[in-house]
Amino acid sequence: MAAVRGALLKHLRVNATALPRNPNPINNGIFALTFNAICRGFSDEVKGSFLDKSEVTDRVISVVKNFQKVDPSKVAPDAHFQNDLGLDSLDTVEVVMALEEEFGFEIPDNEADKISTINLAVEFIASHPQAK
Amino acid sequence: MAFTLRSVKVPPNSASLEEARSRVFDFFKAACRSIPAIMDIYNLDDVVTKSQLRSTIASEIRKNSHVTNPKVIDLLLFKGMEELGNIVEHAKQRHHIIGQYVLGRQGLVQDLDTKDEGMSDFLKNFYKSNYF
Repeated sequence: MAAVRGALLKHLRVNATALPRNPNPINNGIFALTFNAICRGFSDEVKGSFLDKSEVTDRVISVVKNFQKVDPSKVAPDAHFQNDLGLDSLDTVEVVMALEEEFGFEIPDNEADKISTINLAVEFIASHPQAK
Repeated sequence: MAFTLRSVKVPPNSASLEEARSRVFDFFKAACRSIPAIMDIYNLDDVVTKSQLRSTIASEIRKNSHVTNPKVIDLLLFKGMEELGNIVEHAKQRHHIIGQYVLGRQGLVQDLDTKDEGMSDFLKNFYKSNYF
């Protein structure tokens, strides 16, 4: 009985061939629109928007100036947190956290370690689509 | 001892001072990221600002910055995580938070009363401890 069933199924079995996958020409460049982005074009969060660099610079400088341990007159766009502004490593982390709060997105740890000057912070934030 | 939101991060044995240091920064970042939740739970919006809380946490960490033994640092981190977990899961009350982290940063909260204003420094030190 099982042999008959097996023979019948084998006869009825249809060969399925895998379709050749169309390789999606997705670049990893920031300005390439993916299929998802086109489909969900009505949702803003997918596309993300990049903030204007001068606006980012102004906001970053105001955040750093409001920091109590920083002398506002020394704050310049190329100021280094530890060398020029005299902050220690904990203060640097605190400034990065203040920037995280100001722009409303999380900065991953490995990137946060690299931010040691105001310029690096501005570049990082301006290149991140989730910054608000 | 239940940590609902915070996990006790890793076997409490830092191999070196560097690892302990990075753990301190991770703890600081976790604490800063939970500040908005804390402000919301305890309705602290009209009492203190987020940057003040960040500075308070930083100064608490800085109080122990002279420690060089990684095991001691691990224990301090454990206690810090426990405190943070307690605060976030609403095991404390508003007056605890205000008394411990908002007011009285210069000394004991009870010293803020007007009756102690004119007291001499000698007496203040005397009341605090035997050794000064």
